[in-house]
Amino acid sequence: MVVVKLKPFEEILKALEGFKKVFIFGCELGSGRCKNGGLREAVELGEKLKEKGFEIVGIKSPGGTCILERISFPGRELLKEAEKNSEVIISLACGAGTQLIAENVDIPVLTGVTTLFIGAEREGKYFNEYCIACGDCIISETGGICPIARCPKSLTNGPCGGAIDGKCEVDPSIPCIWYLIADRMEKIGTLRKLKIRAPFKDYSKSVYPRSLILEEEA
Amino acid sequence: MTFSEKLKNGKFIITAEVAPPRGTDWKSVIESIKPLKEKVDAFNVTDNQRSMVRMSSLAMSKLLLDSGFDPIFQITCRDRNRIALQSELLGAAALGIRNICLMTGDFTTLGDQPDAKPVFDIDSVQLIELAKKLESGKLLNGKEIKGSVEFTVGAVYNPFAGPKILQEWKLRKKVEAGAEFIQTQPVYDIRVAEEVNDLIEALGAVPIIGLLPVKSLKMANFMKKLNPTSVPDKLIEGLEKANDPAQYGWDYVIDIAHAIAEFGRGIHFMLVGKTSELAAFIDYLRNDSPYNHKF
Repeated sequence: MVVVKLKPFEEILKALEGFKKVFIFGCELGSGRCKNGGLREAVELGEKLKEKGFEIVGIKSPGGTCILERISFPGRELLKEAEKNSEVIISLACGAGTQLIAENVDIPVLTGVTTLFIGAEREGKYFNEYCIACGDCIISETGGICPIARCPKSLTNGPCGGAIDGKCEVDPSIPCIWYLIADRMEKIGTLRKLKIRAPFKDYSKSVYPRSLILEEEA
Repeated sequence: MTFSEKLKNGKFIITAEVAPPRGTDWKSVIESIKPLKEKVDAFNVTDNQRSMVRMSSLAMSKLLLDSGFDPIFQITCRDRNRIALQSELLGAAALGIRNICLMTGDFTTLGDQPDAKPVFDIDSVQLIELAKKLESGKLLNGKEIKGSVEFTVGAVYNPFAGPKILQEWKLRKKVEAGAEFIQTQPVYDIRVAEEVNDLIEALGAVPIIGLLPVKSLKMANFMKKLNPTSVPDKLIEGLEKANDPAQYGWDYVIDIAHAIAEFGRGIHFMLVGKTSELAAFIDYLRNDSPYNHKF
């Protein structure tokens, strides 16, 4: 899931200087799941903006803002409606969703969130980064736990010398991921794999902007 | 005999750490280690240690070399990608810097410019592989290089980090990749020093055990906080009772150095303050100690 964080209201307010009619987009896919940009937050933002004298011409939170373009009718109509009736769009969707909205309208699109990472929801309370989309996935070799995303140094040959007492030296509030990798690989009987030297990682695969091209059926 | 020759001939090794200046005043650094000239076998020149900017470790290594010291050029993966690392190591070889100590490096946010972009393109094991590749006459991509490259390759080991099995496997990987000597984090316990010595030796590298004289109770407590199992209670208790904690901390480390001189292959002094005392101790080891035949 793409995890986002709402920007402080004051920051959103500052970005809206000079505008009056506002359309707000949330997104239920990522922003909604992490309670930082779904319908509820979009409505709350709308209320606060109304108090500051803005005219909220619409609030919508589609299932996935980044697929709005593909939903040929209802989605496109929604974007056209927003463009026609407002001076500015505030998007609470992730960076991808917000850019997609901007590509489809000829009015300013501002973001009300910061896109943080690809992560997992834990205990319904917090989100942890699990993947940095490096383009060269190695988790099959590390017990299904990613040291590229979850070790600040992205080490592949084992822990650094700062892994003291099970904690990461960079942030002692989190475990050194190599402890979790060792425990899990021992449990599933694959620990010995870590005795082998890891190959150099191919970072050309993470050079952005990347594309995925679906092969056409013959 | 140079550090490299001593290493190959089974002699006892004494190394010490020296940090390049924050600025360009390298002469005062050289001045500060003069009492140790021809006593310490080689000086590890740190690479922006603790992620704080200092003069280039390569430049300082060359200045040491020109001033009659044998440098161990330390280089980390924090600030350079594989292109820069190959380039720096070729530069070192061309400047006549033979000894290198390769490590991953402290993380950027632990230093005083936490907004810097961390690199970590490769890790310490791979950096050793990279150095060996250059020695074989090729770049990482297989292209041949002109001129010869010859290094004495070292790496580091922290006996107090975990998970223990993975730390030991990583150490093994470093030796398999080509590390000839291993310098350790500071040790304050003779039993630990002996275990680590045996572990490294069994893997086929020369162990050089790290020693960091504790100057005060505050420093010991700080180190205990960073690395709880490395600082034994008896060191803390001794410092509490001592009239002169700095002297106590020094004597404590010298006792361990004595023991290592008996069973081990080398010692590495980190943060040397007492240069004349260290020089006197080295003279004693070489000339009057029961282990003088090892030097």
